[in-house]
Amino acid sequence: MHERFRAFSFVDRITSIRPGVRIRGKYAIPSAVEAFPSSLVAEAVGQLAAWAAMSAVGFERRPFVAGLAGSIELLAPVRPGQELEMTVELESVDAEAAAAVDGSPVLRLHNCVGPMLPQEDYDDPRLLRDRFELLCGPGAAPGGFGGVPTLPLRYVGGETGQCARAQLQVPASAPFFADHFPRRPVFPGSLLMHENMQLAALLATEIPVPTDHPRWVLQTVSNLKLRAFIPPGATLELAAKVTEQSVDSAAVAVETRMGGRVGGGARVLLVPEKPS
Amino acid sequence: MTNTDITQEEIQAIFPKVAATMADALGCEVEKVKPDASLIDDLGAESIDLLDIVFRLERTFKVKIPRGKIIEEARGDLAESEFDNGGDVSDAGLQRLRTFLKEVPAGRFKSPLRVADIPRLFTAETFCKIVIRQQRAAPVSGAAQGG
Repeated sequence: MHERFRAFSFVDRITSIRPGVRIRGKYAIPSAVEAFPSSLVAEAVGQLAAWAAMSAVGFERRPFVAGLAGSIELLAPVRPGQELEMTVELESVDAEAAAAVDGSPVLRLHNCVGPMLPQEDYDDPRLLRDRFELLCGPGAAPGGFGGVPTLPLRYVGGETGQCARAQLQVPASAPFFADHFPRRPVFPGSLLMHENMQLAALLATEIPVPTDHPRWVLQTVSNLKLRAFIPPGATLELAAKVTEQSVDSAAVAVETRMGGRVGGGARVLLVPEKPS
Repeated sequence: MTNTDITQEEIQAIFPKVAATMADALGCEVEKVKPDASLIDDLGAESIDLLDIVFRLERTFKVKIPRGKIIEEARGDLAESEFDNGGDVSDAGLQRLRTFLKEVPAGRFKSPLRVADIPRLFTAETFCKIVIRQQRAAPVSGAAQGG
């Protein structure tokens, strides 16, 4: 399968590992991609955590990494061509993780929990073992990722500065499903997080900005919880709603529904950007 | 160790913090979390929420709550085959559950009760008790003791 370990795989090399305890790894963001959003940085550290967790149980189970995340600090944007240096500390299946570029932190994850699911339902354990050996040895050839397709949000209404609603059509087929996951394609939680952040950012443009600040920026995503597997072709209803607002910050609750059922949610904290 | 030696004073001491933790995980108002509220049937929790609640309680109270701990303790010395009768809780198992989960209103114990539906019985007080038992089993210095 041409896209396997290319279309949605964000660990090139595992540089050190204590199975089930700590893992470090690297990922070179291909220069050719248009952008590499923070949600994909979170995906990369999540995948590194998954390698640690899977190797600790002989690849018989895999963590559903996007299940729960206590908080994700969005510290700095990353650019194509940069290399991510990632560290994950695991406590049981509870993880703390970070990514840095040139030694400067770009993202931190706290209190992430991934329920462990049977590997055979999602992937081939043998292929994963081979891939793990490669990552722990010479590493994978960088540059396999060709970017994710643009998934336009269709704005369907809201109340200016208070709430916004949009519809997202998950593609019926896309290269990333080859990696996520070969035996059971699932729309990645990190891409859903990205779409939710896009909607929160759109709402942020409608919230009055405190004097002397150019705009609101997303600082933290917290209480991220994914409740359902989203299959290819699903139609999702996204909503973002301002729940608190002061001169220092604004909190936005984001929620995704699939067929009327809540599929996921999170809280996004906005802060005024410092004047340059 | 059993549930019967846990006093109401002990439960009330930690309940506010347990309720706040649950409300945070479920995104509901803390006033909705009553001691006898079923997390699934009354508060709309799903399995991912129960996992979230367990991890939050572990962090809040600095205890470890092994997965499946409540059912394991309720089963006691009954062999799994004596407890689980083809997916239904056996009569002996049901008796154990009624004794162990005595905070659960009697009307909620259906017969037959599917083993997979046992978490539907769990109330906020059920989690208070497991926190207390785990605190007693492995007290950690500096652990949060109550509200």
